[in-house]
Amino acid sequence: MTDFNKMSRRDFFTVTGKAGLATIAAGAVGVNFGMVQVAEAAVGKSKVSPFRFAILTDAHLFSHADHKFDAMLEKAVADCNKAKPDFVLYCGDIAQNGTADQLDKGKKILSKLTMPLKVIPGEHDWYLDMGAAWRGHFGPQNWSFDHKGVHFIGMNSILVKDFWTGAGMTPLERMGVMEMLESPLAGPWGVQAEQLDWLKKDVKKLASDTPIVVFTHSPLWDYYPRWNFQTSDAPEIREILSKFVRVMSFHGHVHQTVYNKIGNMGSVGTMSTSWPWPYPPVKQAYPEHQQLRADPGNFEDGMGSQLIDLESDFAGKMLYKPFAESLTPTMKNGFKI
Amino acid sequence: MKLTTKNRFNVAMALIAPVALIGLLAASPAIAREPFTKAELADQEKALLAVVDHGRDLWHGTLPSMQTNGLACGNCHPDAAASNPHTFPKFQANLGKVITLRDMINWCIMVPQVGKALDVNGDDMIAMEAYAFYLYRGVKIEPGLATRQTAGFDVKSGAGFPKKGSGVAYDNEKAPVLPVINK
Repeated sequence: MTDFNKMSRRDFFTVTGKAGLATIAAGAVGVNFGMVQVAEAAVGKSKVSPFRFAILTDAHLFSHADHKFDAMLEKAVADCNKAKPDFVLYCGDIAQNGTADQLDKGKKILSKLTMPLKVIPGEHDWYLDMGAAWRGHFGPQNWSFDHKGVHFIGMNSILVKDFWTGAGMTPLERMGVMEMLESPLAGPWGVQAEQLDWLKKDVKKLASDTPIVVFTHSPLWDYYPRWNFQTSDAPEIREILSKFVRVMSFHGHVHQTVYNKIGNMGSVGTMSTSWPWPYPPVKQAYPEHQQLRADPGNFEDGMGSQLIDLESDFAGKMLYKPFAESLTPTMKNGFKI
Repeated sequence: MKLTTKNRFNVAMALIAPVALIGLLAASPAIAREPFTKAELADQEKALLAVVDHGRDLWHGTLPSMQTNGLACGNCHPDAAASNPHTFPKFQANLGKVITLRDMINWCIMVPQVGKALDVNGDDMIAMEAYAFYLYRGVKIEPGLATRQTAGFDVKSGAGFPKKGSGVAYDNEKAPVLPVINK
């Protein structure tokens, strides 16, 4: 496999511009998961060369040897290799406690992917050492690249204000606060000013008909702030991206299937490979995209990976690939984003 | 025995007298139990919250014997969501029988968490139960769709965290109204 983790952004552009991804993508020809073909109006003049990519997320690997979550990430990696996407995006929380050994383990398992990988961080990866080990393993916290006519963006959305210095917390205590989903102490997180400036510059010269796909750990809409199912500066992100005809947003963190549409942005939540979170007590705009309740006796139920097929007109088809039967009829054969 | 008029009177008195005595005692301000005072109610609430706090800590992994793989109840049940304590005893499909909440808690500890079960009548189990029930106060039992899951109310207490909410969280009543666009 191409050791994508060690590659710089420039290296990735070089590979994508040459034979690297094209050669790998050739293997995907003929793969058919029975997805529904959806007709969609063309997006301006920009044309996409149809391709498939995959998303894995939220493995929450523990330090224990032969932990059941290790096997589930292995399984998702194997599923990805069979589906032969052009590349894989990882939406954060490789580790549970942010330790170097957990990140090592994740990198080792993910290195079995037979296609390139791009990674963004989650809070479980970050707050033990403020991302030092994560950056050492996976590179910059935010990035962008172009692939077959689509502009891909990844950002670190789990940055919170300093709650630990004044409280005299140790790094371990800080990590403990961030590990608890319903902890009110950390407050809402977001990408913060520096990344907003970077995003403005990144998309400044792009034509408005450029297809945009953006990845963050948390949703770019206000889903359920108590569990940080939100990104505090999502309104600013959506404003920056509002000039584009259509934007697809994918996020981790929620450990569940969920869909929403705000303005020009379709937002899709992803299944983890660790455990499914319950749905929070809020009304959803698209409740038919909620997965079935998991069977507690089946440790693989409610989890899995996801494939996305992009067509020439930037019509995106989302296909969840659950380990066990978890999907409603709306989602079973794929759905339009 | 044949009841004479006198006998009938004696039997009636034997039945009525204790009731009448209780009534007299209840009517006496010197002996009857007053409603709980505010101070007593505050003490009771404090005692309950102390147990709820302990339950919350256990729920989030403070007792190592409850797991051998790092997992805590809170991993799958933040705010005790989807634990639905008020629906027990009930038929638990994955176990194929009617069980209590305490049975379910111990199943989760022993199977997904690979830990040692709690004493089913012990203080720790009572605390676990108190935490879950506390969060579900006032929540109706609504079987609903298979996809429907419920979550608890705002947590007002817990060791190591502010006793007052940060103001960033929503409880059920304050849940944001989501925009429905192009639907």
